Amino acid sequence: MSILSENAAARRRRLTTESAIKAFFGSNALVAIVVLALITIFLFREGFGFFGQNLANLRLYRRAGSEYVDIIRAQAQTHAALSRQLGEIRLQEARTLPSSSSLQAFDQFAAAFSDSGEFLNALVSDTNDQALALREALIAAGTPSAVSSAEGETPVAAAAPVDPHVAMTGLRFADNKFPTIAMAMKAKIDDLLAAPPVLNASRAQRLFESWKKRTRDYLAQFPAVSQQLHEWNPDERVPAYRAVTSFLFGTNWITASFWQDWYGIIPLLVGSIMVAAVALLIAVPLGVCSAIYVSEVAARGEKSLIKPYIEFISAIPSVVLGFFGIAVVGQAVRALSQMPFMKWVPFFPISERLNVFTAGSLLALMAVPTIFTLAEDALRNVPRGFKEASYALGANRLQTIARVLVPASLSGIISAVLLGLGRVIGETMVVLLCAGNRIAIPDFTQGLGAFFQPVHTMTGIIAQEMGEVVRGSIHYRALFMVGLVLFVLTLGINYLAQRLVARYRMSIG
Amino acid sequence: MIAAASNRRRSQFLESALFWAFRIGTYFVLLCATYIFLDIGIKGGRTVFTRTAPFVNLKFLSEPPQTLYVFDYQGKKMELSDREFRAWKTTHKEDVDVTSVSYSAGGIWPCIVGTALLVIGSMTLALFIGISCAIYLSEYSRDGRFIRLIRVAILNLAGVPSIVFGLFGFGLFVIFFGWNVSLLSGWFTLGLMVLPAIITASEESLRAVPQGLREGSLALGATKWQTIRKNVLPYALPGILTSSILGIARVAGETAPIMFTAAYAMRDEMPWQVSHWTNFFFQGVMALPYHIYVVSSKIPQNEYTERVQYGTAFVFLAVVMLIALTSILLRERQRRRLSW
Repeated sequence: MSILSENAAARRRRLTTESAIKAFFGSNALVAIVVLALITIFLFREGFGFFGQNLANLRLYRRAGSEYVDIIRAQAQTHAALSRQLGEIRLQEARTLPSSSSLQAFDQFAAAFSDSGEFLNALVSDTNDQALALREALIAAGTPSAVSSAEGETPVAAAAPVDPHVAMTGLRFADNKFPTIAMAMKAKIDDLLAAPPVLNASRAQRLFESWKKRTRDYLAQFPAVSQQLHEWNPDERVPAYRAVTSFLFGTNWITASFWQDWYGIIPLLVGSIMVAAVALLIAVPLGVCSAIYVSEVAARGEKSLIKPYIEFISAIPSVVLGFFGIAVVGQAVRALSQMPFMKWVPFFPISERLNVFTAGSLLALMAVPTIFTLAEDALRNVPRGFKEASYALGANRLQTIARVLVPASLSGIISAVLLGLGRVIGETMVVLLCAGNRIAIPDFTQGLGAFFQPVHTMTGIIAQEMGEVVRGSIHYRALFMVGLVLFVLTLGINYLAQRLVARYRMSIG
Repeated sequence: MIAAASNRRRSQFLESALFWAFRIGTYFVLLCATYIFLDIGIKGGRTVFTRTAPFVNLKFLSEPPQTLYVFDYQGKKMELSDREFRAWKTTHKEDVDVTSVSYSAGGIWPCIVGTALLVIGSMTLALFIGISCAIYLSEYSRDGRFIRLIRVAILNLAGVPSIVFGLFGFGLFVIFFGWNVSLLSGWFTLGLMVLPAIITASEESLRAVPQGLREGSLALGATKWQTIRKNVLPYALPGILTSSILGIARVAGETAPIMFTAAYAMRDEMPWQVSHWTNFFFQGVMALPYHIYVVSSKIPQNEYTERVQYGTAFVFLAVVMLIALTSILLRERQRRRLSW
């Protein structure tokens, strides 16, 4: 009896140890879920304050009249852009007819046009100063919450005894000034357009015609701008959704500026997508080709050499690839674009050695192993019967590959491509080192030339700016928001790839 | 008949043409990679190896990075590291026109040490959690919602970009736990980053152990844990470790997660020079990948920086590639040997 009970106690004890061990392993298994949850929580925790701060930032932009000044500034900038385009037209004319007398007349015209913007520029710089003073006064007064990346610098209280209302009325004088200046400008430019210089080169003529049209359009919208200035009201509330839309659809990422900070993700997103597009454009054909080659065509010995080698490539650290890009690839791409036989490409030679293409071609090398491994897996997993049936029907190897194997493994190949895309979008060091890091949407009017311009990417901006921002500032939170967008994007890509694989498994049975 | 024959010839031609295209594409990839290895190997080899006696540039491997001073002295071009330059100054009182190039003299010893520490710590952590998780998944779990959730989490975790892990580590360990930029933050960040790879590899190895071994042990009256400890883990462990070596390559190679969690651009003390042993865990270290990033993008480029850039890249690439090669070779061997 006593022995029995002792046994029962031992068994119970053993059972509790067993279940404790099981619980221990189970809790370790939970780590994956916990980490994923923590990543989400922390990205939200650090990032979400961004919207509140951004709203305050946007409200200050309006209350300080910066928005008002930017309306006028946009006009001055359009004028400057038109003036620059005249320079380009002159270049065309000079290239075809170097010593043409028409150049002199044209230069006079261009100079006169450039001068016509004089008063407008003066107005911009006046209002700019007023708005800045007003902005500082508002920040000093602590309304509507001292925001922006006032990185530790306390606003100089003594230098800002500006009464916001007085300053605002001072600023609003431009309501009347702008129409008069615009009228004078219009008259001047109209005069100029009445007697345009004669151009001889046909390309220059065409450009000049379209320039004239753009200039007329520009002049025609002055009354609307005056109207806009009149109607502009500093006390109008900035709606709350603007904090979100200005992030998701904003085309400017300007930080630590003394004028106005903008946190728009579009330039970064476009940069990331362009780099990924180039990388995939190179990596998908190469990866799929080599997968087909290794699984169907290559001899046994070749296979056992190529497969480990490509796996080996996937272990190259990204920072080494990035360094290689700076040291070798960038130079090579630029040198190639300067070769005489590449003259036929309209946007060559390129000026920046670090650009979308440099980064993309290096990332392709990182994506190839991913795509190769998974696509090769998918091809190998096609049931043997499929292939044998195809041969039995008299198809040759190519027909079997093109009509049977690839279609049967298509969803596997597509999911391989998607995982490659996920890897490329999330890659940091190569784009940080090789994409050129210019925060601007590339100039798409150049067509494919846009792919040879420097960009900045979502991963790159986090890596570059995170080390320098003040914790808790709007800039810091904006970077976490970018991280969140990146996280959601890669999760989405992953999810899509998994769905495809699941379906592919079912379809083959 | 003739039409059919020419058709067949055309299709044969097409086939061989396309196969050649595939072949060229494949070898193009291999060539690109080979070019990278050769370029870094040759140019970096000049820094790391010497023509005379020990044949290895011991100074480069054993000294901390220093500023390089370049100047003309009595018609001779002098290139001195920071320490040498100060010694030189004590004997020569003349004023010389000096150009200083940061990081370009000395070596990369602290970076090597830092990377080794990061790898050891994070792999210990990842192996511990990863193997436990895999044991649960392959030995204890029955298919259910909870297990599916865990699997989905692991799959998704594997796709999270490394920079997001960096942000996460920064937010949780550096700021929320207040560990600052430290080894500990780096260990956890890197360890959690490779976790999915370790779990997948470990589970694969555990599942490769035949079911009969478990059943035999259980039939003899052993408990579940005894079975796992004596009859499953010993057979799975070589496989787990082999697959995990590739994880080491990844941990050593990543830069983005340690940029704001563990790495310093420059630090004068070595990691063991701490006032109290607990401080060891709370110090930032220099690391090879971060050093490459710093010397290739943060300092102005000139002829002197190239040496240290290529030298560091060479050492780093050689280490990572050796690890990867070991892993691949071991796995190939194991695949051949292990067929139960």
